[in-house]
Amino acid sequence: MGRRLLRWLGLVPLAGLTVLVLLPVLWMLSTSFQASEKMFQLAMEWIPAVWHPENYPNALHRAPFPLFFTNSLIVSTVVMVGNVVFCTLAGYGLAKFRFPGDRFALLAILSTLMLPLEVTLVPTFLIVHSLGWLNTYQGIFAPLLVDAFGIFLMRQFVLGVPSDYLQAARIDGAGELRILWKIVLPQCKPALAVLALFAFRDSWDQFLWPLAVVSRDEYRTYPLGLVRFAEDYGNPQTEQMAVAVMATIPVFVLFLLLQRLLKKGFGLTGLKG
Amino acid sequence: MTTRRDFLRRTSVGAAAVGVLGIPAFGAAQGAPTRAPVKLTFWTWENPQQRPWLKKRIDQYTQQYPNVSVEFQYFAFSDLGKKVSIGYATGTAPDGYTTGDWLMPTWLTRKLIVPLDVQQLGYASLDAFRDDHAPAFVAGAIHEGKAYGYPLWFYGVLNHVNTKQFKEVGLDPVKDEPKTWEQLGEVAKRLTVKDGSKFTRQGFKWAMHASQWTAFQFNPILLQAGGQWFDKDGKCTVNNEAGVRAMTIRAAMVKQYGAEDPADSLATAPVPWMDWLKERAAMFSAPPIGPQAIKPINPAMEAEGYYKAYLMPGVSDDKRYSTCYGFNCVINVHASKEKQDVLHHMYRFIMSDLLDCWKATAPLTLARKSGWTDYPEVKSTPNIQAILRAKDTGVFLPRTPVWSELADAMHRAVQKVTLANGDIKVALNEAAAEVDRATAELKKG
Amino acid sequence: MRLQLWGVAFVLPALLFFVFFKYGPMGWAFWLSFTSYDMLAPPRFVGVANFAGLAGDPVFLQSLQNTLVYIVASTTLVTLVALLLALAVSTRVPGARVCMSGIFLTNVMPIIAVCLVWRFLLHPHGLVNQLLAPFGAGRIDWLTSNATAMPAIVLVTVWRFAPYFMVVFVAALAAIPAEYYEAAAIDGTRGLNRFRYITLPLLLPQLFFVIVVAALLSARLFLMPYIITGGGPGGATRVLSMLIYETGFSYLKMGRAAAISVVLFAIVLALTLAQMKLFMRHEET
Repeated sequence: MGRRLLRWLGLVPLAGLTVLVLLPVLWMLSTSFQASEKMFQLAMEWIPAVWHPENYPNALHRAPFPLFFTNSLIVSTVVMVGNVVFCTLAGYGLAKFRFPGDRFALLAILSTLMLPLEVTLVPTFLIVHSLGWLNTYQGIFAPLLVDAFGIFLMRQFVLGVPSDYLQAARIDGAGELRILWKIVLPQCKPALAVLALFAFRDSWDQFLWPLAVVSRDEYRTYPLGLVRFAEDYGNPQTEQMAVAVMATIPVFVLFLLLQRLLKKGFGLTGLKG
Repeated sequence: MTTRRDFLRRTSVGAAAVGVLGIPAFGAAQGAPTRAPVKLTFWTWENPQQRPWLKKRIDQYTQQYPNVSVEFQYFAFSDLGKKVSIGYATGTAPDGYTTGDWLMPTWLTRKLIVPLDVQQLGYASLDAFRDDHAPAFVAGAIHEGKAYGYPLWFYGVLNHVNTKQFKEVGLDPVKDEPKTWEQLGEVAKRLTVKDGSKFTRQGFKWAMHASQWTAFQFNPILLQAGGQWFDKDGKCTVNNEAGVRAMTIRAAMVKQYGAEDPADSLATAPVPWMDWLKERAAMFSAPPIGPQAIKPINPAMEAEGYYKAYLMPGVSDDKRYSTCYGFNCVINVHASKEKQDVLHHMYRFIMSDLLDCWKATAPLTLARKSGWTDYPEVKSTPNIQAILRAKDTGVFLPRTPVWSELADAMHRAVQKVTLANGDIKVALNEAAAEVDRATAELKKG
Repeated sequence: MRLQLWGVAFVLPALLFFVFFKYGPMGWAFWLSFTSYDMLAPPRFVGVANFAGLAGDPVFLQSLQNTLVYIVASTTLVTLVALLLALAVSTRVPGARVCMSGIFLTNVMPIIAVCLVWRFLLHPHGLVNQLLAPFGAGRIDWLTSNATAMPAIVLVTVWRFAPYFMVVFVAALAAIPAEYYEAAAIDGTRGLNRFRYITLPLLLPQLFFVIVVAALLSARLFLMPYIITGGGPGGATRVLSMLIYETGFSYLKMGRAAAISVVLFAIVLALTLAQMKLFMRHEET
């Protein structure tokens, strides 16, 4: 009985911390319903005295955000799928197989994260341009399909799968792909959830690369649209906040969907001794 | 298939509908340079008034000349330069685009834009073109006897004041106009309202949020103090005696008059005049600010009209010039001759109805002298006298290929002096050294 | 042997992708560091002039120092906070999962809104100072004073990224089989000892991941200092990634930007190698 009470008491600091951490997000949410004169009022009005939900449809009408969001959704979904497939394969290979140069391969893969996009932009652009992919979806998502973060993430998680299981399966005559599919992946559900989430999320926010590749509204992703929208001082900044709130939703929904997989209970069962 | 007569009739009807006065007329004589289909790309920057007007004019043009199709794209201002640069690097730059006049050296020194044929723009000679534009503009667009930019808007920087706050402290918005830097300081001091150590209202505010603004606000002070950015050998001289004097003036608002709090600002890139609009600062230096910019943030100020624009002060009341800067249309050197001709034609068309331009984009002034200032709509604009004088007497920004480095160096220097209480001479020495390094890099590289 | 081939086969698709999309451009960038390139005319070879120029440039040296401080501070704090948050939301306190979802929101907010909001909150008369006032803090010019500007940027970084890595740790904690804790309970190992001897060793792979990736992220990140402080005041928050962006796109000195990138690359590579050495000792096949 005492322990349960203790657990409930534990909620107080946790909830307090959450609210504190979320103050900026709450401010964004609150501002998105405010009149534009109230923006940047230092004496903060957390609950708007007058609600302006029209900021949302207004923002959507002022600039083609539905189109921009759709484009972002398409690109991010493809990137998510690509990463889940390729990063899992590579991460598994690096985690559970020893071959000459495997440490070097990991370093080589990580090295792709060590040079900023600014200096690799022009040649990457030229590659995509030579494929005829400027102002297309594939032009935006192609260089993002495999990300070293994802490979590294999967490697580290797959390391936690006991090799005994794999050995046992091999002795039983199972093929490598079957082992991956039937034994490794089911135990990596939390990792796959994290990978999918991060791949989608990182692609969702991308700015510089889509800026370079896209010059037409048809393919514009939402960050480009939002920055351009923000530059126009005729657009109330409270509407910018409304767009920002809307932009938060898809990734958050994905998170909520995937977080079931993060629950305990996906650990190992059976196979003792 | 249109006959030549149909074609001419359409253009003359078009010209009449446009209602042009003054030179250069876009009359019936202006047939399109070609009847063959032409596809152009044109890029510009986002602005709530200017961009829609440009788009409208281009749409009108392609309606009149249906063989021309224009892919019109616009980007956030800071992104336009990046896009164009990436475009040149990869062979995907637009055929025509707009650029700030302070960036002209960037395109010119690398021969990336085409020298314009002023006759296609409606001028008999280069001298006619030169005489029809504000002198400061022309200095950036004309290079080695040729014009490279076709001017759009061009503005001078003004001192925007809140007249309600003036009256509150017993000042008269007409008689107490600050004409010298000392007067500005004194007036600002009177306008300042403090609550303990916190500024409820700053008397006068300098922009602190972006290096471009720091540079263009410092520019006229430096020149008024008798200084210059570079000597004849290209060495940066902002740290000489005149430079120190200029920086002292710049820093006086906080150090001497106590009328400003440099750390306290809500300005953002699209709305640098935010503190003034929110009535946290009584005066602010900026290009012309019109009702459309005021209304979204301070509808009361716009409705009751309690704002006024003065010329910026000077070291003496006859030396009150401020910075002016503007935007040109330019043509990519890689565009085909045919496209170049059509672009000339289109640019001329765009700027052939200046009254319409004013109606859409007031009070943003134009570089051209003729053909618009006599309209009643222009004359009745509030503060128009000051706005026009600021443009006509303004001085241009330093024309240098290391403009961005210069602006960043000055921004750092101003921060050191006003935020960290640094020594003025030391800060200026560091800035000058940074600029010289950048120039040397450029020469070497 | 057969297994070795399989290992290579699994890794090959990703490597081929990188060869096509990454290693080519990276090699070009390395070559570029020995040229002068303004994007508008073809690159011109200048030998080590770019690097020599950097050595004598106070702005570069200041940025280098800022970057080292920023990487170390951010990585340490992000890792620590992420781990603590993950432990907190993985307890059996009711509503912990909801709190985790809430905290993750900080990582989902668009970056432009994050910067706008934090600039406002860190204003001298903004919310942060208002909240600290009862503790006698007085007015702190977070973003405009040399002493507090970098800590402010680190604060926003931790706020933004600790939740990201919290999720990694939560996933890792979820993968720890319940049997291990049951066995520990039978042994009488509880609390801090349980964390130290059971949880922490099992978290090592993810700890390795988080530290390496947090360091990589803080090396690359520049939007936050760029938008929140513009690198100021007086360059106090200008980090190398921001300098690279400015040098390449504002000053149009891509060759020099590439040279700075090479320096940053060397730093990050060294850090990663050190971490690999530290952590991979503990890995078993």
